[in-house]
Amino acid sequence: MKVRQFLRDFGWCYVFIAAPVLVFLAFTLYPICSAFIMSFQKYNVLQSEWIGFDNYKHIFTDPLFGKAFINTTIFTVATVPVNVLISLGLALLIFKLGKKAQTFFKASFYLPAVASGVTISLVWFWIFDPMPEGILNQVVHLFGINNVNWLGKKDIALFSIILMTYLGGHGAGIILYLASLGGIPKTIYEAASIDAASAWSKFRNITWPLLKPTTLYMFVTGIIGSFQVFISIYLMTGGGPDHATTTIAYLIYQHAFEYFDFGLAAAESFVLAFIIVIVSVLQFKYMGSDVEY
Amino acid sequence: MRKVSGKLEINSNVHVDPQLVFKERKKPSFYIGRTLIYIILIIWALFTFFPLYWMFISSFKDANASASLQFDIIPREFTLDSYTYFFQFNEEVWRWLFNSLFISSVITLSNVLFAAMAGYAFAKLRFPGRNTIFWVLMCAIMIPGQVTLIPLYVLIINVFNMSDTYAAIILPSIVTVFNVFLMKQYLTTIPSTLIDAARIDACSEFGIFRKIILPLAKPGLAVMAIFTFVGQWNDFFWPFLVTQSNEMRTIQVGLASFKFADSTQFGPMMAGSIIASIPMIVLFFSLQKYFLQGITIGALKG
Amino acid sequence: MARVVFEHVSKTFTDDKRGVFNAVSDISFEIKDKEFVVFVGPSGCGKTTSLRMISGLEKQTSGNIYIGDRLVNHLQPKERNIAMVFQDYALYPHMTVYENLAFGLKNLKTKKEIIEQKVKEASKILGIEGLLDRKPRELSGGQRQRVAIGRAIVRNPEVFLFDEPLSNLDAKLRVQMRVELAELHKKLGTTIVYVTHDQVEAMTLGERIVVMNEGKVQQIATPTELYNNPANLFVASFIGAPSMNFIEGHIDNGKIAVNGDTFPIPNKFFHGNALYNGQKVTIGIRPEDISDPHFSRQITNSSELQANIRVVEHLGNEKLLYFDKYGTNFTARVDAESEIRSGDSVKLNFNLDKMYLFDSESGVSLSREGGH
Repeated sequence: MKVRQFLRDFGWCYVFIAAPVLVFLAFTLYPICSAFIMSFQKYNVLQSEWIGFDNYKHIFTDPLFGKAFINTTIFTVATVPVNVLISLGLALLIFKLGKKAQTFFKASFYLPAVASGVTISLVWFWIFDPMPEGILNQVVHLFGINNVNWLGKKDIALFSIILMTYLGGHGAGIILYLASLGGIPKTIYEAASIDAASAWSKFRNITWPLLKPTTLYMFVTGIIGSFQVFISIYLMTGGGPDHATTTIAYLIYQHAFEYFDFGLAAAESFVLAFIIVIVSVLQFKYMGSDVEY
Repeated sequence: MRKVSGKLEINSNVHVDPQLVFKERKKPSFYIGRTLIYIILIIWALFTFFPLYWMFISSFKDANASASLQFDIIPREFTLDSYTYFFQFNEEVWRWLFNSLFISSVITLSNVLFAAMAGYAFAKLRFPGRNTIFWVLMCAIMIPGQVTLIPLYVLIINVFNMSDTYAAIILPSIVTVFNVFLMKQYLTTIPSTLIDAARIDACSEFGIFRKIILPLAKPGLAVMAIFTFVGQWNDFFWPFLVTQSNEMRTIQVGLASFKFADSTQFGPMMAGSIIASIPMIVLFFSLQKYFLQGITIGALKG
Repeated sequence: MARVVFEHVSKTFTDDKRGVFNAVSDISFEIKDKEFVVFVGPSGCGKTTSLRMISGLEKQTSGNIYIGDRLVNHLQPKERNIAMVFQDYALYPHMTVYENLAFGLKNLKTKKEIIEQKVKEASKILGIEGLLDRKPRELSGGQRQRVAIGRAIVRNPEVFLFDEPLSNLDAKLRVQMRVELAELHKKLGTTIVYVTHDQVEAMTLGERIVVMNEGKVQQIATPTELYNNPANLFVASFIGAPSMNFIEGHIDNGKIAVNGDTFPIPNKFFHGNALYNGQKVTIGIRPEDISDPHFSRQITNSSELQANIRVVEHLGNEKLLYFDKYGTNFTARVDAESEIRSGDSVKLNFNLDKMYLFDSESGVSLSREGGH
């Protein structure tokens, strides 16, 4: 009886949420558990064998993983803060303009994000062409630099991939910041003017703190994204030269789908997830202390 | 004005030019500042534009033009040679486009329906476990794709044996937790009294969803639909993993395969890139406002 | 028969933030058929929750609710034969006025011709026939309100429920709508349950008023009865504006001792109320019962007391005097012709016949017949 009443009262609510719950159970929860188990196995396509912590041991002793970790760290540190600041800077500039100009620039900076990762990678692959007639080479030639092998030289390859991110994809961040800037009451700035605050002081004491929630969001999502960069590396450098552009995400792909060592790849993915969680938590602690969400 | 015996009188004979009084005179530094801003923004925008522009003009160059091309800002030649080359290179290019269209459309429609339903339930309905279930689902957003990827692959390919099918690509994305979150945030803004009134008006619960919620949620649904569609169209990794045969590839995967087959034919590579991205660019220009307002719906408070 | 009966109804909310919250605690009442009853009280007193429980939008935690002769505890709103007018009107923004009015009937699968007829009738009563093609956003506040009422009328319910319908209107419109609502009640002759926080609305509209505070019923009575015989301190302070003045004191040898002065205990109403020495009591006297001696009508039982007037407010038809005495802020309403000015120290007439007495701790009135 009670069950019947319960179903009558709430049954249909559960129908409404059924789809995402089922998808979650089948395509998120189950895989996570399965991956966890896999990480303790030597698992290739046909058979699996329990090997305990061997995969993890391998990870922490493997110089290649160490290199991937360093590459990933360099990449993240070089891209995320810089790109967040670029987005903020551009947003601050755009914010000063009239409505029509704002819309124009919002659209302009957002447009590159509409093209797929594949197409962007292909274009840059060409721009980075190492021949003297390569586009970027022609540009730097004007500054007296010759024949850079952008993607083929160990020391430069990672930098090239990083450079790629500086010149595109800021649209979303700009729009986010513009919206947040719009949410700051003008009267606060007016009060600051009366208090004889300089432009820098206004930025440092009003704008920056009030934008913290947005900045935190940009950092967290930016870092999660940068840890998962794949397409550009896959299409442009294949992880090379000599593993110079191999990131943890790329390494996971290689171990899983080129060497078919699912167990190792699964273990690596958990290590990666763990790193991301730690970094996110640290960020919240450091930046999010007075942020209310 | 003259002050006369304690009362202030305004001499109304003086003619005051309204234009002079109300026009704000801006310092020259203001105009310099503005111009500087425009210059910086335009230069930066040009830089970000450049790759796309280059993609565009290069696609109309000769297919056999050498790998490193002359750096022409204004194109000197115009030919569809590269496009022809690209289409001829692989007979399935049209099929690739169709696959992308089909898959993206199906996923978009299913997301719109299911995310709206779930978002509505979490936003407006009260039932046991609502908050707990919601937060558990939200945890899924924070999990990096790599962790679920491999077992998911095993699940779809080995267990379900769905390799190389539309279903394999579509199923995991039928409804994303992110879209559910988006919808919940958005639908919370619908006044609850509307739902109360509809209940009193003898409307069934699904009726309320269909006749009240959905019509009022159109703008939010449109934004979610566009982002989902574009995201799916541009997606590479998962379709790459689960497709084997040439016919089943999406346009992005097909384009990537072209690159690996022949990494020196830049003309056709650019032509293929244009083909792969033009639909989304057109979509962007025609539905601009949805793109521009969309980001903010999920990320900001309220 | 469309009476509404609550039998020991309680509603408890469990909130993540506030924990367990008793919105309504064990209330019982009977609203008679065709009666216009107003629920009044401050925010959070439980009046809206009670209304929503009548409608079925909220389910009570315990107790029974009857509409007509039916026990409606487990019935959905649509099965209870009620209609509701919301504070924000809750008109469906994407539908025309006609579609708004017709929505309920459509859901009940009524025939198209009947819907048309009923919608026309309702719109005629409210004077909104010309608006049927418009969307809600094209209407003024007053018009939207009428459409909301129209939507309720169209359903021909047994009970009408109003949730603070006039709060969103400007003052002038509010007065106008109040009168129209009273006329509507006469015309339709249905039971109306009306919720408001505005005691003026309650006093003018209600045939009987249910005063609530903190989830409990304080008193159920006619407006006159509430004014003349408040059951406790809360009702006494809530009904009447400017509100009643209160003086703290205690019983001392058959008189009320207040800060050095003594008041005689008015003996009119004290049947069966035991007063003991030392009992802490609160004297209540309304501003209208304090007058300028030059303009006092014949008052049989009065006391003249000194007051240092702080502020005088000129309202045109009367004057309000503000002064401090016995540690309280007093308000007095005096004749417009009074010449008392701020800063004056004058003698004012306190009408002891209209004095109330309350037990300070429980708040219960000691000056009512029979003790409650």
